[in-house]
Amino acid sequence: MSLLRINGVSKTFQTAGGPVHAVRDVSLEVAQGECLAVVGESGSGKTTLANMILGILAPSAGEIVFGGTPLTDRRSPAQRRAIQLVQQNPLSALNPKRSVGGSVRLGLDVYGIGTRAERWARVEAALEEVGLPADMRRRGPAALSGGQRQRVGIARALACEPDLVVLDEPTSALDVLVQARVLRLLNDLRRKKGLTYVFITHDLAVVRNVADRVAVFKSGRLEEIGPTERIFSAPEQPYTRALIGAVPVVDDAELKLRNTLAEAP
Amino acid sequence: MSDILDIRDLTLAFKGHRGLTEVLHGISLRIAAGERVALVGESGSGKSVTARIILGLLQETGSARVAGQVAFDGRDIMAMHPRDRAALRGTEMSMIFQDPTSSLNPTFTIGRQFAEVMHRRAPRLSRTACNARATEMLEEVSIPDPARVLDAYPFQLSGGMNQRVMIAMALVNHPKLLLADEPGTALDVSVQAQTLRLMHDLVEDHGTAVLFISHNLGVVREFADRVYVIYRGRIVEEGATDAVFHAPGHAYTRALMDAVPRITGVGLPEVPEVSDAFLAPMVRHGSAS
Repeated sequence: MSLLRINGVSKTFQTAGGPVHAVRDVSLEVAQGECLAVVGESGSGKTTLANMILGILAPSAGEIVFGGTPLTDRRSPAQRRAIQLVQQNPLSALNPKRSVGGSVRLGLDVYGIGTRAERWARVEAALEEVGLPADMRRRGPAALSGGQRQRVGIARALACEPDLVVLDEPTSALDVLVQARVLRLLNDLRRKKGLTYVFITHDLAVVRNVADRVAVFKSGRLEEIGPTERIFSAPEQPYTRALIGAVPVVDDAELKLRNTLAEAP
Repeated sequence: MSDILDIRDLTLAFKGHRGLTEVLHGISLRIAAGERVALVGESGSGKSVTARIILGLLQETGSARVAGQVAFDGRDIMAMHPRDRAALRGTEMSMIFQDPTSSLNPTFTIGRQFAEVMHRRAPRLSRTACNARATEMLEEVSIPDPARVLDAYPFQLSGGMNQRVMIAMALVNHPKLLLADEPGTALDVSVQAQTLRLMHDLVEDHGTAVLFISHNLGVVREFADRVYVIYRGRIVEEGATDAVFHAPGHAYTRALMDAVPRITGVGLPEVPEVSDAFLAPMVRHGSAS
């Protein structure tokens, strides 16, 4: 059963230079427990799509159905709680004046999750779940490393007990060793908690290792969508092939795959 | 063998509240004329400060303590008067930064910024001569309509276009050494791939040596002849790109390679964030020509 259904969604921005069609007539579904990667270059509309899923932007046309219910411009607290975001840059995503625990707790207070007395315990549990020590809740974000901050960002989203998590380039600001650990953590959490991910990224190598299916965007249009295996072994669109062909690779097996795709018609 | 850059036992410490903090613990690095050398490491490993020392910028920072030998084209950078070091920048050595659009001045046209760069080498160069030379350079980086670009402001051009402009500007004075600090990281992968290929061909034609600073192993593999891997202010491995990528010898290099997600989808490895093995002695691959 699909948890999220996007039906003919478009988003047009009116600008001084005329209308900009950021997302054009996109339809796709995300199944319960699945990780759908949304890939494309800058300006392809992937973040606009994410913002519509999150309810930050209203679609110009089409509808977004979540858990069988069409989402309107005015979402209920339960609907807002059910879809959470993990942002790209963990430093600017956290309020520098708030303790780490305070940031994680905010969602609990807003959505009234748990009793007031048990919320700190929930915050500590959320931090431990992402591999941070519980007493880190008293620290400020400035005292944390990039990887720790991103874990806080994940803890904050998960503390709200969402069904769907939108991950907007969650590891592109991190060093490779840290990225590998955070990606593993995200995989583990998804399996353990039965979460559904919409994973927005431009990094196809990451996509290959985390996503069940891939949606390729270009200039606001859905170019192609399919299982990760298929997208990487037999991409249908030249654009998808070009995207994979541009990935810088480190080993010979990857080079071989890339060359095979380049030679295909 | 004539080295364009010869760094020996370079240390750097910053003065803070709690005394000196050493960030480079004696690194040695050589670049031959025309050679493309990569310095790979994570954030905070000391890559960018090394570049700033080569440019002679950190020596002029009050809180920095720099020691060791830095020879550029046979001249001792460390002993040089700040004025002479400044004279090298933009002429004998030049730099390309991560984000092309923000490293260009938004208030001047590309043409005017080109002229400024050229005047560092030839202060009396006329406007028409500047424009002619700039046009030539823009054609070399495959910019289709150089005249239009010279009249444009950076914000009117795409990121990829600005990156080409930066490369053209960095090479216009025929520097002996180009320092490229994470070039193109801010760009889309396809644009990045294109501009790197372009830069690769161009420095080859011009015989420019390059110190290529990056955290991206894939990009390094495609660009560099030789690689230095830096971890926490120490060089842990050095060798020809092929040797390092096919037979990484140091635990840190191996961890770094393992951690890169593969498009072949072999899964995500378990990687340690820190390990004592990362502090093991440096691994040097043979044929140190």
